[in-house]
Amino acid sequence: MPLLVSSGAGVSPPERPMPELEVVGHPAAAVRAHEIVTGRALYTRDLGIPGTLVGRLLYTPIPCGRIRRLDVRAARRLPGVTAILTAADVPGENSYLYSIPDQPLLAFDFVRFQGEALAAVAAENEEVAARALEAIEVELEPLPGVYDVLEAMRPGAMQVWPDRPNVHSRLVIERGQVDRGFARADVVIENQYLTPWVEHAFLETEAALAMLDNTGTVVVYSPGQSPHRDRRQIARALGLPEVRVRVITPAIGGAFGGKDEAHVQIHAALLAQATSRPVLIERSREESIRTHVKRHPVQVRYRTGALRDGRLTAIHVEAIGDTGPYLGAGAEIMACLAATVFGPYRVPAARIEACTVLTNNPVCGAMRGFGIPQGQFACELQMDDLARRLGIDPLEVRLRNGLETGDEIPTGVRMRQAGGMKGCLIEAARLAGWDRRREIERAPAPHLRRGWGMASILFTVGMGRNVPDFAGASLDMALDGTVSLRTGASDMGQGAHTALAQLAAEALGVPLESVRVVAPDTDQAPNAGPAAASRTTFVSGNAVLRAAEPIRHTLLQIASEKTGLPLNVLGLRGGRLIAEGETLSLNVAELAREAALQSRGLHADGFYAMEYPEPHPPDAYPYAYSVFTFATQVARVLVDVETGQIKVEEIVAVQDAGQVVNPAAALGQVEGGCAMGIGYALLEELIVHEGRTLNNSLEGYLVPTVRDVPPIRARLLEYPEPFAPYGAKGIGESSLTPTAPAIANAVADAIGVPIRRLPITPERVLDALERGEDGRVR
Amino acid sequence: MSEITLRVTLNRVPMELRAEAGKSLLRILREDLGMTSVKEGCGQGDCGACVVVLDGEAVNSCLVLAAQADGGEITTLEGLALQGVLHPLQRAFSEMWAFQCGFCAPGMLMSAYALLLHTPSPTRDEIEEAIEGNLCRCTSYRAVIEAIDAAAGEQRRGGLAAGAPDA
Repeated sequence: MPLLVSSGAGVSPPERPMPELEVVGHPAAAVRAHEIVTGRALYTRDLGIPGTLVGRLLYTPIPCGRIRRLDVRAARRLPGVTAILTAADVPGENSYLYSIPDQPLLAFDFVRFQGEALAAVAAENEEVAARALEAIEVELEPLPGVYDVLEAMRPGAMQVWPDRPNVHSRLVIERGQVDRGFARADVVIENQYLTPWVEHAFLETEAALAMLDNTGTVVVYSPGQSPHRDRRQIARALGLPEVRVRVITPAIGGAFGGKDEAHVQIHAALLAQATSRPVLIERSREESIRTHVKRHPVQVRYRTGALRDGRLTAIHVEAIGDTGPYLGAGAEIMACLAATVFGPYRVPAARIEACTVLTNNPVCGAMRGFGIPQGQFACELQMDDLARRLGIDPLEVRLRNGLETGDEIPTGVRMRQAGGMKGCLIEAARLAGWDRRREIERAPAPHLRRGWGMASILFTVGMGRNVPDFAGASLDMALDGTVSLRTGASDMGQGAHTALAQLAAEALGVPLESVRVVAPDTDQAPNAGPAAASRTTFVSGNAVLRAAEPIRHTLLQIASEKTGLPLNVLGLRGGRLIAEGETLSLNVAELAREAALQSRGLHADGFYAMEYPEPHPPDAYPYAYSVFTFATQVARVLVDVETGQIKVEEIVAVQDAGQVVNPAAALGQVEGGCAMGIGYALLEELIVHEGRTLNNSLEGYLVPTVRDVPPIRARLLEYPEPFAPYGAKGIGESSLTPTAPAIANAVADAIGVPIRRLPITPERVLDALERGEDGRVR
Repeated sequence: MSEITLRVTLNRVPMELRAEAGKSLLRILREDLGMTSVKEGCGQGDCGACVVVLDGEAVNSCLVLAAQADGGEITTLEGLALQGVLHPLQRAFSEMWAFQCGFCAPGMLMSAYALLLHTPSPTRDEIEEAIEGNLCRCTSYRAVIEAIDAAAGEQRRGGLAAGAPDA
């Protein structure tokens, strides 16, 4: 059993013996570790091509207005300017974003938010490009925008689009008898929650290098989470067939959902097409923060009914998400929030409404968690409120309501595997010493208060029933027995390529060192869908296993012919042939050579689509998810009641991982999720005033430094997931989700007043202390 | 902008080049000298991705002008391995997952390298102080701290000689 002891972290098998796995479940270094520590890993802006032009975009100076005049003639005449494009120069569709592509690549009539691009410039060098941007004559008529989400919802409000209502969608989940549920409740609690705009702050800002190759194909190098979808969007804008576009993904410097949307790939491709020269667009940090999609700010009104013993009777949730002027994935994100906002609990009756509202604020989209963190924050503070109101321990109230395998949730889905719910709760409580917490000093100094808080969440894996969720992968064995793995799934640091290599090595019975992952390239790799929705290990992992199966079968058939042993006793392990546990003299390289002599191919593609074999009730929520992970975190904080400062002393994080593929990488995901969750809880808020973000730098927008992250005790639990590769599923987003509510609950425990708004800044702590629980100034 | 002749020692190799006096060391290293390990994350000294070692100190190369680097001795990540042997820091970062996306790793490694030049046995607090200016958005920094600590231990035991070949 692999057991990592650093920081008290480890892997436990709660209910079964470990299967005999050689590679999966064992720690391994990242497949690109050597290139990264030697500085040789090539990110997009490290790819130098002679004659590359500098591409820049002109962004609107105001967030909302009508374009009166956009004159690029003077700018085009500047020496060294190779091309300037405006909306009229886009040969295909002038729009992008996935799901609902309603954002213009280059604005033509109105500007609707601060990140709107007006023109694209290609020039010989940066100085000329900057001069060209200044020489473009722009006349904008400022219009009063809609910057408040509640105001946008009022009848008669100014409309963001003349022909579309501001309330784009109101998704409803209704299950059970809600009114009766509240009527039989002994206690009903209702609260309002607020979460902020959040910036991904990936260290590598967006960039794209585009050029034409010898066949006239447009080649784009760029950090993207979805190379095949980027290809489709580029082709659509350039008016080309998809096969005339090739997208290659070099090393990616972080993404967290923010590179799931196309960013500057399409603009760079347009400029390369117009100039027939290589063009590199790089976003500055300021441009990056100003333009790309953000985590939705969400207002949640949450009403919970429960019996005296803590068992839930009904919930009613209204969530409002400000998505900015363009939809993209906005409504899907709010749908995902709605499909999980009940948390990992048995809820007999639920009414959930989720509104996606258009405003002239920053465009919102995917960020690690896809709406789930906002909803789980509200749900987990409700659970603590309930526990306080009833005088029941927060652990106990969660255990009494915890989901179990086979339970039906409000979306109409039955839980396939819910062992991780109570498993994570109990293990986290045990590791944190939850039962003994009152023995530790609550006020170590007159101005300090210590508090403990927990949060237990459920998280979805995959894109849900309503969205095609498939992946392909391709394996090719060379004559020496080494293997190329081609995948369209991006590795933006989450370790996907290492995990897929481990799955391939396990399935083929070769050492991990024998597998090389080819960086995603739409000319070479099958479409794997986006590296998002915590789906890559599950969906691409299954595709890899399916590709491995025929190769393994061919190798074993040849081995059977050569040894005379029956097929069913033979196997491959560590690159050698085995028979009933005994290692034989034949190895994979010899079998691969024999396959070539016999003209039997050792190349296979595998495809997998998410399976939903369960009966699906006709009234089920269309966006329902069927695969879940669970996680519980316990936070211990120390609050200075004089300054409002919060110090997180420790986080215990227990994560249900199905089957761990790589313990070192998985623990890194859990700990990194906690770090990002600490930022969400205490530090991070994009300040938006009348549609403009005011903190467009890493000096103004604070992400956690080494000084902000406390010791984290992380542990992974393994409850094998049905249909998943060796039972493994994604954990990268789940791990971020419990951190903020656990910290918020710990702060409430420390100061006796819950704070229902993120981030929990010192000012908000002092304000809460002054006002008290009932909101009245003391 | 006036051009100056710049004399520097880069990764133990003395060299001379012409550069605009006001050009940042970051851009000189990346654009004129091909040191693409040096990353730009913000361009204003907030993130530490561009940290290199100049005359024994870790500096944000985006904030150093060409003229200020004149006569200096510069080490970038390209110069950390000696004759193909990885530095203990590089081995520890690789083995212990002290990065995820890797974009902060060059700056983080150079901050750690500067620390170990002065402080062969750093405390945990000294390690934290050394990398305080290096943002990592992927990890919790735990693996980074442990890797630096492990590398310091290996270096004290005569690490470089025991290094594995740079395969």
